[in-house]
Amino acid sequence: MKKLILILTVLVLSFSVPAYAAPDDGLALKSGDAKVAVNGLVCDFCARALEKVFGKQEEVNAINVDLDTKIISVSFNEGQNLDDDTITNLITDSGYNVESIDRVE
Amino acid sequence: MRYVILALLGMGLFIPNAHARPVSYPGGWTFMFMNDGDANSAHIHYSPTADMSVGYKFENWRDKEFTLNALQVNNLLKRWNKKHSQANLYLKSGIGIAHSDRDDFDSETSPAGFTGIATDWENRRFFVSYENRYTEAGKIDDFFKQSARVGWAPYEGDYGDLHTWMMLQVDHSPESDDNFTVTPLVRFFKDVHLLEAGMNNNGEVLFNYVLRY
Repeated sequence: MKKLILILTVLVLSFSVPAYAAPDDGLALKSGDAKVAVNGLVCDFCARALEKVFGKQEEVNAINVDLDTKIISVSFNEGQNLDDDTITNLITDSGYNVESIDRVE
Repeated sequence: MRYVILALLGMGLFIPNAHARPVSYPGGWTFMFMNDGDANSAHIHYSPTADMSVGYKFENWRDKEFTLNALQVNNLLKRWNKKHSQANLYLKSGIGIAHSDRDDFDSETSPAGFTGIATDWENRRFFVSYENRYTEAGKIDDFFKQSARVGWAPYEGDYGDLHTWMMLQVDHSPESDDNFTVTPLVRFFKDVHLLEAGMNNNGEVLFNYVLRY
């Protein structure tokens, strides 16, 4: 039992240091792209859900989810866009709530 | 000790690669493998919408001496999305066939079913959950079980980082001789992988792995 506790302690300490942080892949947004404040974003599963759902939209070029600010940035393909109602529906259907949608000037 | 070795081997296989929410995002598949002092189980489910999943469940109840194959449906009854937290209320139910040919039973097969509620609240630092379940397996067995968890994350990782949680689980099985067990555990969560390992106050290993994509 003591050995197990020791091993688990070492494992936790080994993995508790956030040295493996993924690089910040923030998007370079252009005019018309969207910054959406979303409620309920608490974990990677939430972020992945929104990535998957938006990734299926042909208008979407890329999406970035920031768990700190709870803002998702959506970059659209040239000449394409999604209106606010569509964005709201996609997020609501994924199980989350939209607080606000801002467009890049 | 062999369970400890198996658990550590398993961690070696799966790390680096964790909330076993019973409903995923629309179009999402989830594979859940759970092992604790009472049972081993596998649950594979598909979520057509964000408030429902349907799938197959296998359970091997070691001390109760039966296996269960079931169709399981999980419903997200209510979700509370807040700026920095989320809470959920689920209904989890299944229907299938229980089978036992061990000790007290001679190839006994019986229709079986189970139902229960699960609820959780979490932010990026703290986690609380509770779930219960009543299982009816005809002549073989019927029982009620409930459990609760609290968790704490020592750091807030960004999306894509390895996330670590320290958790404490309390299980209550009213009909068991040893009806309360306490299990300290660690949860590792990265990308589509969630892994949990712990040991309860009876020396029984908990080892869970969830894959979601």
